[in-house]
Amino acid sequence: MTETLVLAVPSKGRLMEQTAAVFEAAGLTLRKTGNERGYRGELVGVANVEVLFISASAIASALRSGEAHLGVTGEDLVREEITNAETRVVLLKKLGFGHATVVVAVPQCWVDVRNMADLDRVAGLFRQTHHRRMRVATKYLNLTRRFFAGHGVTDYRIVESLGATEGTPAAGSAELIVDITSTGATLTANGLRVLEDGTILASEANLVAAKSAPWTPNIRAIENEILAKLGI
Amino acid sequence: MTAESAREFEALETQARTLMGVFAKAGYEAVAPAILQPAEIFLDVVGEDLRNRTYVFADPEGAELCLRPDLTVPTCRLHWERHGRADAKARYCYNGPAFRFQPTGTIATRPREFRQCGVEHFADPQREAADVAILKVIIEGLKAVGLKDYKIRIGDIGIFQAMLRSLDISDTARARLQAKFWRPEAFRRELAQLSTRPAAAIDGLPRALVDAIDPADPAGAEQAVVRYLADNSIELIGLRTAREIAASLMETVATARSAPLDKETATLIASFLGVSAPARAAGARLKDLLVGRGINLGAAIETYRNRLQLMTDADINCAEITFEADFGRNIEYYTGFVFEIVSPTLGPVTPVAGGGRYDRLMRAIGAGNDVPAVGGSIHTERLLAAVSDRPIADSTARSSGARP
Repeated sequence: MTETLVLAVPSKGRLMEQTAAVFEAAGLTLRKTGNERGYRGELVGVANVEVLFISASAIASALRSGEAHLGVTGEDLVREEITNAETRVVLLKKLGFGHATVVVAVPQCWVDVRNMADLDRVAGLFRQTHHRRMRVATKYLNLTRRFFAGHGVTDYRIVESLGATEGTPAAGSAELIVDITSTGATLTANGLRVLEDGTILASEANLVAAKSAPWTPNIRAIENEILAKLGI
Repeated sequence: MTAESAREFEALETQARTLMGVFAKAGYEAVAPAILQPAEIFLDVVGEDLRNRTYVFADPEGAELCLRPDLTVPTCRLHWERHGRADAKARYCYNGPAFRFQPTGTIATRPREFRQCGVEHFADPQREAADVAILKVIIEGLKAVGLKDYKIRIGDIGIFQAMLRSLDISDTARARLQAKFWRPEAFRRELAQLSTRPAAAIDGLPRALVDAIDPADPAGAEQAVVRYLADNSIELIGLRTAREIAASLMETVATARSAPLDKETATLIASFLGVSAPARAAGARLKDLLVGRGINLGAAIETYRNRLQLMTDADINCAEITFEADFGRNIEYYTGFVFEIVSPTLGPVTPVAGGGRYDRLMRAIGAGNDVPAVGGSIHTERLLAAVSDRPIADSTARSSGARP
């Protein structure tokens, strides 16, 4: 049986186009096999590569499980979806697109809260006054827990939010948020401000290798060929 | 249970029967608290380490539940529900599964599903006697299943709390230190700031706003906040009111205007926390340290000494016990005596048993008032590993000070 390297790439939108462009610039073409709406393909230019076109968060889980050898996805998703990411995957190369910063943002009217230490103090006061913990709206459950724990903030609870997170404080369904931002304009428009030390992660798309994937000498050789062309 | 061999299963069952036999003979009633627990109560009381490692999920109606990460809170709830009041006297023992996510991966001594076997003692006003009875029965259990070599580590949150209360410092500084009590790292930072430059507390806050705030005038502070927001076209959104924001600013301004903690006080706190000594010598060490500074912790130290005497009377070898002033600060429900039992086979980061006093837990779970309570539990998979002498290297993780 021929050994194949599994490469997972984003299946739609800007991320897919920019990923294709990066490979194209290296003389490699991501091409779907079968019909145009399929999700499997090949890498024209390197033999024995199976390309999976899947969503960015499915790529992170494929890298966690070792289902894919290589994948292109945001560092935010790698850190969010893979516990102890540093021991389970290798971030091979930042690809220069898909920039997003994951931040802690509070209402601008919280003039007493400059940083995470203030947030910690105010969280205690909030709990005394309202008899419940402050709510943090986010889709980044794990990044939030780790970051808050690292700053010793404990009096909060997470409200999972899968869209329009920045609107939740004004709507009254959360007190503050953890979300991605690029220019900060959306946050400002929603009356929010990033804490001084509230940057959790400056993320961009990365080429990532899964340590737990079934690597063999032949598949390593395929990997080296791809990395050489990408200039890694 | 976990994927274990029939032999291991039988060994754990046999061990549990022995332990439960020891507890029952000592007068502890066997109970089986619920495995599924309301998440909110646990997450409120267990502290950060366990909070991040608890399996939480929603049932089909959206209620947040968890798989119990230990059996103390479930036993408290069982007691309260059974009696309709929490201050009924009772002694319970249990053996059953507990669940904890293991972020560094599961190994034999850190399984995500394990059996905890323990005892809890409620509503006995003879606190020190109850503390010692718990330690004693846990040791008897360990010995009965064949653990010969072990070390005991103790602490006493009560002494630390009493010291904080009796220091000659401002109420603001005391409140700030008190709030950080359960987080050693944050406590250290707070102490550093208070003793060097409290004025730094207002760095980065709008000057005009700070100047308009008088820590003694809540109404004025609230007006200042409202005015500041209006002047800067900032809309007040969310649940926190201008009054709450003002109250928080008043606290910060009061800190900034207070005199720095004097050097000796800061040094005293640091040396106090650094005390680690054989249990007998520790009492004297603490007393010398504090009396030298004119601080009299008479009652707290007396309690500590009484307890040691009761241990000796109960044939617990105090010469082998180490006291650490800093021990027990990462489980938020402990209020006094805390202990941990370590086997040399597994090492100090993987204690086989632990426990302590938690007089405020009943109130925290909603029982309405504080109830004297103390308990201890054994991590039975670890105990089995320790007595069957299968060393398992585990140098990466750190003991949380939690029930193991």
